[in-house]
Amino acid sequence: MARIAGVNIPTGKRVPIALTYITGIGPSKAKEIIEAVGVDGTRRVNELSDAEVLSIREYIDANLTVEGDLRRERQMNVKRLMDLGCYRGLRHRRNLPVRGQRTHTNARTRKGPAKAIAGKKK
Amino acid sequence: MSRSVWKGPFVDAYVLKKAEAVRESGRTNDVIKIWSRRSTILPQFVGLTFGVYNGQKHIPVNVTEEMIGQKFGEYSPTRTYYGHAADKKAKRK
Repeated sequence: MARIAGVNIPTGKRVPIALTYITGIGPSKAKEIIEAVGVDGTRRVNELSDAEVLSIREYIDANLTVEGDLRRERQMNVKRLMDLGCYRGLRHRRNLPVRGQRTHTNARTRKGPAKAIAGKKK
Repeated sequence: MSRSVWKGPFVDAYVLKKAEAVRESGRTNDVIKIWSRRSTILPQFVGLTFGVYNGQKHIPVNVTEEMIGQKFGEYSPTRTYYGHAADKKAKRK
């Protein structure tokens, strides 16, 4: 068991893959961490020594925003737009696409599952 | 693509002139009516109130520091949407 950045416990996988289980770390960030710390990418998390795990943890703490902090930061960015009363903020409030996409059809990611409209059949 | 930096921010000249006039007169509470939704909000506009036209009327916008760099039009919505009639029926149930 290796605890990195709070609650995340990726184990039997190769180090770069395991690191992507942390919110805010994708494949390229994982590679960056490994190179900075000097761990071979083919090794697995349970083969790492405590010192190596520690140095990974320290690198993340020092250089990256991850997990709760990242989520809070994102939320603050959205909240800032909403409080400002600008167009992007209004779109966030309505849960509609923010960047000018069409909403006549599609936009299901933001709008959620399609709602049936009563009495719409011919 | 974003605008080239060497051009500087775009502002319609009359907006600058009006803002300056209000600044000099000292009545910073006055609403400055503008139609130029495309103009960039500049640092010297902070603290002034603009009436930004939305095609029907002038929406009062109090310019704050955070708005710098955005366009006036972003603060004056042009569409009114009250939802669909069917949506309301569905909610009542």
